[in-house]
Amino acid sequence: MTQRRSYAVGTGLFIVLGFATLAYLATQTTSVANVRLGATYTVDAQFANIGQLKERAPVKVAGVRIGQVKSIALEPGKEVADVKLAIDQHYDAIPDDSVATIFTSGLLGDQYVGIQFGSSKKAVADGGSLALTRPAQQLEEMLGKFFGAGGAADNLGGTYTVKARFTNVGALSVGAPVKMAGVAIGSVQSVQADPVKLDAYVTLAIDKRYSQIPDDSAAAVFTSGLIGTQYVAIQPGGSPDMLKNGDELVLTQSAMQLEDLIGKFLVNGSSSGDKKADGAPSNASPAGKQ
Amino acid sequence: MRRMSPDNIVLRSLAQIGDCGLFLVAVLKAIPRSLQHARETVRQIWFIGALSLTIIMVCGLFVGMVLALQLYHVLSIFGGTAATGEVVALSVYRELGPVLTALLFAGRAGTSITAEIGLMRATDQIAAMEMMAVDPLAYVAAPRFLAGLIAMPLLTCVFCAATLLGSHLVGVHWLGVDNGTFWSNMITAVDLRTDVVDGILWKSVVFGAMVSLIAVFQGYTTPPTSEGVAYATTRTVVASSIAILALDFMLTAFLM
Repeated sequence: MTQRRSYAVGTGLFIVLGFATLAYLATQTTSVANVRLGATYTVDAQFANIGQLKERAPVKVAGVRIGQVKSIALEPGKEVADVKLAIDQHYDAIPDDSVATIFTSGLLGDQYVGIQFGSSKKAVADGGSLALTRPAQQLEEMLGKFFGAGGAADNLGGTYTVKARFTNVGALSVGAPVKMAGVAIGSVQSVQADPVKLDAYVTLAIDKRYSQIPDDSAAAVFTSGLIGTQYVAIQPGGSPDMLKNGDELVLTQSAMQLEDLIGKFLVNGSSSGDKKADGAPSNASPAGKQ
Repeated sequence: MRRMSPDNIVLRSLAQIGDCGLFLVAVLKAIPRSLQHARETVRQIWFIGALSLTIIMVCGLFVGMVLALQLYHVLSIFGGTAATGEVVALSVYRELGPVLTALLFAGRAGTSITAEIGLMRATDQIAAMEMMAVDPLAYVAAPRFLAGLIAMPLLTCVFCAATLLGSHLVGVHWLGVDNGTFWSNMITAVDLRTDVVDGILWKSVVFGAMVSLIAVFQGYTTPPTSEGVAYATTRTVVASSIAILALDFMLTAFLM
């Protein structure tokens, strides 16, 4: 009898210990705030570019987390990303002229939405929107002409295909995302070399939902981040006619190698200096000519 | 074996899997009847769960220590040693915790279940129970299966906690990762639903059911000879290990 009781007590202890560790792991080592969705209200913000912002990314005011990104979608027919923010009900006094900005934590860190308060007396309400936004600052944008990055390609329903020619596709591979305003709208279906024109011939499969892309849009091969994968970015043009299945994008920009870019940056810097010297002969060049 | 085994090895394995499936149905049906032997289930949880705690905790501690050591040196190349806790937690919660616990569990508890039931079969104890109108499925098989199902997730939680302790010892106390960043990076990266519920809980429940089913099945259907028991014990470890790793891949692909 005593032996029986000892193992029953031991088993009870074991089960309690197991559940205690589970409770510990679940509450002390996870971001429980990520799933606490009860008391939140939703605010809309439209960004020209969301960079690598992901769903469930934090929303912060003065660096303090007040909510998370609920959904990211591309506004139909426009080159803007529609981001819904779920904000904790406790923080209900956000002025409606506040500015939402996409920041990056550190150089290679995750992106988050930062809200800087405006001066309005009116607080933004549930379902309201923040009109003033600043898009993600891309390292590439600062370096050169790159822009856009982030996210994986959507699960595609129906797609239509568009072709584009590039003189150099870099490391672009089949399945790489096609993005507009940083949001994935399709994927690369094939990458082939043209045996006659000697350039790269890329077929893009674009989701049928995004059928309103002007036919004079430009396609460019960009890199996400410093060491990220390559993708095709589409910059919409202004034509009233929309792209159709089988069309070809005429305006393309080939992949820029980081090495090229940095090289150009350095070379351009010195050559423009030379030009300036030529243009102002009174100061520097007489000394140079002598 | 209850029926003639075909000669072909493929057919034989298929027949084994089929028998195992039928056995699972029989055990599931026996579970309501086994509730009148609840004390037996408690004794089995004590035996295969609580007594496995030592090996689970010691192994978890060392796995955490070696993970922290390895990751620290790789991450220091990128200047990312602050992410040590985060990477340890994610890899342990999602993969290593459930898989290693299940492998240890198969070695520690699965074999003893097989050997015990196999010996019961070899010494005609199971036939004697049937003679006495005690259902051996409800008294022998179902309590062990249930105990495995209950003990596995709890053991996995203990394993994960021990791993965090081990990686904290090496990462923070030895290699000098900052204590605050160690925990805060982990807390930001780990998600309750995808990592703890889908990773630790789902996987360990499935593995627990799989390992205890294989162990009970091998013991129950062993040829009643000492050689047969030896083979059945070996088969438990081999089959469980393969099943754990294959199921792990499928579950990961399914849950991700």
